[in-house]
Amino acid sequence: MDSIIPEKFKERYCQLVDDPDKFLSTLMQYTPRSFRVNRLKATVDEIKERFDEYGIAIKQMSWYGDAFVSENPEIGATLEHFLGMIYIQEIVSMLPPVIMQKELKQAKFVLDGCAAPGSKTTQMAAIMQNNGTIIANDLAYGRIRALKFNIEKTGTLNTIITNRDLRTFPNYQFDAILLDAPCSAEGTMRKNMEVFSTWNEREIQKQCRVQKPLILKAFDLLAPGGVMVYSTCTFAPEENEGVVDWLLKNRPNAKLEKIAIDGFKLSSAIEEWNGEKFDSEITKTARVWPHHNDTGGFFLARVTK
Amino acid sequence: MSYDDDYGNPEPADPKKIQSEVLAYLYSRFGFDQKLFDNFGLYLGSKGKIYLGPKQLIKEPKIVTLGIMIARADGGIKPTTNLFQIFGKQITKNYIKISKEQAIVYVKGEDMNLGDIQNASDGYVLIKYGDIPLGCGFLKGHALKNMMPKAKRIGLKYI
Repeated sequence: MDSIIPEKFKERYCQLVDDPDKFLSTLMQYTPRSFRVNRLKATVDEIKERFDEYGIAIKQMSWYGDAFVSENPEIGATLEHFLGMIYIQEIVSMLPPVIMQKELKQAKFVLDGCAAPGSKTTQMAAIMQNNGTIIANDLAYGRIRALKFNIEKTGTLNTIITNRDLRTFPNYQFDAILLDAPCSAEGTMRKNMEVFSTWNEREIQKQCRVQKPLILKAFDLLAPGGVMVYSTCTFAPEENEGVVDWLLKNRPNAKLEKIAIDGFKLSSAIEEWNGEKFDSEITKTARVWPHHNDTGGFFLARVTK
Repeated sequence: MSYDDDYGNPEPADPKKIQSEVLAYLYSRFGFDQKLFDNFGLYLGSKGKIYLGPKQLIKEPKIVTLGIMIARADGGIKPTTNLFQIFGKQITKNYIKISKEQAIVYVKGEDMNLGDIQNASDGYVLIKYGDIPLGCGFLKGHALKNMMPKAKRIGLKYI
């Protein structure tokens, strides 16, 4: 059944997971549909009540009360989706704002470095209750329209959209930064099996050549006392622990903080890859393997200055 | 060059002009609380487009767009669907409540003929389903011209 998964892919990652068979079989199944209640426009109770009236079964996540999953394929055909009261979003995509919620509630000036299509931007704005300012930057001009659409639909008012290569961004000092970096997207295979057909290791190398300068620049834009989350939706250690290790080597004042989400299973970082041993601090970063929470794959690092 | 024609130079709009025209219109026609937008900045884009966004702006890099377009003052003043979907619950006059069947037709973007009309005079009106603000329409007599933007129009199964 998992024959469309490249052998080299299996070779790389089956050695890293606790249950390789379960890992591979999970990759062959679509992720459950999920959405987030947009607190700028609705309350969780309102949404529960409305979906109950519709007879659409939804399940609230214990680790984040705004997150729901549902078997029903017609969530997008509800009035609540039309009005932006709910936002269809992958569960793992909700994690970066969740692990900086406390700081976001206080923040005045926030950067979303690679913002399009805006799922996490609009989630951060909801956490901030439209206070402060978010700079939602994206290099990909073609994706700005989707970002703008989602900002409008969710009633997000505290956002400025910019279209600049982050590496040349002016030297502001942000209270909080999200760098959800462009990546080889291996962890999205469950929603797009095509990723398997184009997968190759050259892509991984290509991505981490971009990610390394991005993480340094993003860190330079962080105000002392601020928090930055670096995340990807890929499994490759080169794009995850390898990039964070690069930050630690090049910015001695970068500190990592341990991540925990009560009720959501996070896994240990990879401490060594292809003969390269990463900084011992790397154990504070976290991985999400798809078979643990029935989600896509993800990586998270919480950096302070 | 700006990203599209939705946003021109991100200059703060002349406060007096906004106060006298757009805000005064929104307050008087819809009964919004005069302090509703106090936490945000108002900006004037191209072609009379009024944006509600964060108070703090940046000089560099160039702003593609910000916040949400809440009205257009190009000739007359036209409120946007986005404004009503965000702040519609604060509107105390010139709204029309429609039935479930009518709401399904409205979100498809179709014009409608309405029966007895209360709480609204000719001009732009908020369309509500129960207490939920759906969007904007232009009322003339019993005829409602649908102002739902084409990109938002949809057939709903659950309402």
